[in-house]
Amino acid sequence: MNSIAAYGRSFGTLLGLALLCLLLWTLTPHFLTVSNLINVLQQTSIIAIVAVGMTFVIITAGIDLSVGSVIALSGVVLGSVLATGVPPLIAGAIALATGFLCGLANGLLISYGRLPAFIATLGMMSLARGLALMYTDGRPISGFSDTFRLVSTGEVLTVPFPVILMGIVYVTAHFVLKRTKLGRYTYAIGGNEEAVVLSGVNVRLYKTAVYGLCGMLCGVAAILLTARLNSAQPTAGIMYELDAIAATVIGGTSLMGGEGTIFGTLVGALLIGVLRNGLNLLGVSSFIQQIAIGSVIIIAVFVDMMLKKRSR
Amino acid sequence: MKYVISLLTAVLLIASCHRDTQQEGSPVIALVVKTLNHPFFIDMEQGARKAAEAAGVRLVVQGAERELDVEKQMQIIENLIETKVNALCVTPSGSKEIVPAILKANKAGIPVIIVDTQVDQQTLHSAGGSVATFIGSDNLEGGKLAGQYIADRLQGRGYVAILEGIPGHETSDSRLKGFRSVIERFNAITIVGSQTANWERDQGYNVFQNMLQSHPRVQALFACNDLMALGAVEAIAAARKTGNIIVVGFDALADAKVAIKNNQMAASVIQYPSEMGRLAVEHAVTLLHGESIPAFIPVKIGLVTKESLLVEESQKK
Repeated sequence: MNSIAAYGRSFGTLLGLALLCLLLWTLTPHFLTVSNLINVLQQTSIIAIVAVGMTFVIITAGIDLSVGSVIALSGVVLGSVLATGVPPLIAGAIALATGFLCGLANGLLISYGRLPAFIATLGMMSLARGLALMYTDGRPISGFSDTFRLVSTGEVLTVPFPVILMGIVYVTAHFVLKRTKLGRYTYAIGGNEEAVVLSGVNVRLYKTAVYGLCGMLCGVAAILLTARLNSAQPTAGIMYELDAIAATVIGGTSLMGGEGTIFGTLVGALLIGVLRNGLNLLGVSSFIQQIAIGSVIIIAVFVDMMLKKRSR
Repeated sequence: MKYVISLLTAVLLIASCHRDTQQEGSPVIALVVKTLNHPFFIDMEQGARKAAEAAGVRLVVQGAERELDVEKQMQIIENLIETKVNALCVTPSGSKEIVPAILKANKAGIPVIIVDTQVDQQTLHSAGGSVATFIGSDNLEGGKLAGQYIADRLQGRGYVAILEGIPGHETSDSRLKGFRSVIERFNAITIVGSQTANWERDQGYNVFQNMLQSHPRVQALFACNDLMALGAVEAIAAARKTGNIIVVGFDALADAKVAIKNNQMAASVIQYPSEMGRLAVEHAVTLLHGESIPAFIPVKIGLVTKESLLVEESQKK
C-alpha cells in the first residue's frame, strides 16, 4: 500500500514537472530546445546522483548532512592524486574510496556508536570540510588532463557523459532498492527497525552499508564536479546536502522513513534543476529563485501529507 | 495537485513580471556577478544599468546566492548562452574554475568581458579560450597603497597583522602580494600573523579576536576587504582597543566610511565598482559595433581616509 502511495506522489511531482516545462515553453523560446534540455540534465546530474544516496539514507529514517563536505574531500583527494600523474581510472577509484570511507565512518558511528544520524553526519560535515581545507591549504587544485576531463566533456550521440552516468546510477539504484536484500531491508529498517532486529537481520551491517553507499555516490559526484570545473575546490559542495534532501523529499520520500522511490527522486531533482534553469532563462534574480525553490519544497510535502490523509 | 498548479502559476507570474520591458529587438548584454547580496556588486549593477540605458541595450544581471559558488555561476552562464545573449560580462567566482564556462561562450561565438577578478591566464591559454578584455582595478596597486599607508603611520616600525581573503582568489592574492612587497622593505615592521577570514564579516571578528589573543602587541591590521575589517573592528572594540590599532580595509563600503569617520578604521582602499559596471557595458557595446578594444582596461583606485572624507563632504556643500 505504501509503495503505491509513493508512486502516486511521484506521479504528482511528474505532473508538476510537466506543467512547469509547459509554462516555461510558453514563456521563453529558449527553454524547449535540445541543447537547453541537455544543458538542464547536465546541470542536474551532480545533485541527482547525490540525491540517490540521500534517498537510501532517508528511507532508513536517517539523514546525511555531510554529503557536501564529503564531495569536497573526495574532490581534493582526487585532484591531488591526478596532479601527481596517476591514471584517471585509479584516481577515480581513490575518490570513490574516500567517499565510501567517510560514509562508512558515518554508518559505524550511527549503527555501532548509536549516535543519532543528525549528530554523526553533522560532525562529519565539519570534519570532512576541515580535512579538505587542511589537505589543500585552502587552495583549489586545478588543471587536469584532457583524458580525465572526458568524464565531463565527452558525449555519446550528443548526450554528455554525466547524463549517461546519471542514468546508469539511477537504473542500478532502482534495481538495488527493489530487487535486492539490501533494498528490502532499507525499507524495512525505515518502517520498523525494531521488528527487523527481532527477525534476526543484522540491521547494523545494512545501515552501515547504506551510509557507505551514500558516501561512495558523493565520490561519483566529486569526480563529475572536478571534471566539469577542471578544478577541485575544498569549498565545493556547500549546501549540496540541502539540495539533495530537497530533491528526495519533493520526490515523495518520507523523512519518517520506510517509503520513497528512486524514480521520484529523479523527478524531484529535475524539478529543482528545471526551475533554476527556467528562472535563469527568464532573467529572474537569484533572490526570487530561492523563494521559488523554498515554496516548491513546502508545497510538495504539503501535498504529500494531504494525499496520505485521503488514502487512509 | 491543484496546489502545485497554483504555485507554479504564481511563480511564473512573478517571473513574467520581471521580464525586461524594453523592446525585444535591441541587443542583450548579460552581466554575471559573483553574488547579488554584496554592496560591491550592487554598485556594479547600478553602474551597468545606467550605461545600458544610455546605450539603448537590454541588460540582464544575474548572480549566484553565494560568492564562492563556482558551479552555480557556470550554470547561470550556460543558461545565458542558451538565451543567445550578444555579449557576456563576468566577474569570475573562481579564476581557474571560470575557464570551462568561457570556452562554452567562445564556442557559441559570444564575446566575454571579464570584470573585477582576473582569469588565470595560463589555464585560459592552455585550454584554448579567449576573452575580449579585462576591466578591473589593479589589486596589486591597491595592496601597495595600503602597505605604504600603514608603513607611514607606523613610521617604519611595528607589528602588523593581515586578514586574507579566500586563498587562491586572484583578488586576495594580488592585494596581499602588493601589501607584503611594501611592508617587506621595512626591516623594523614584523608581520605577526596572516590568516584567512574568507571575505566574511563574522569570520573577520573571530579570526582577529584570536589574533589579538596571541599577538596583543599588534599595532596595525590590513584586511583584504572591508567586511573582514569591519568584523575586526568589533573584535577590537570588544578588547577595548579602539583607536589603538590602525585598521585598513579594502573596498570603501558605506559602513567602512562610517567606521573611518568614527576613528574605528583608519583607511580603506577604494575601488569604483559602478565604474567597472559602466565600462563593462560600454565596451560590450563597442564590441557589438565591430570595433576592437584594449586587452586591459584599468579602473581608477584610491585610498579613503578621514581627511579625504572631510574634503569630499566640504566639496558637496
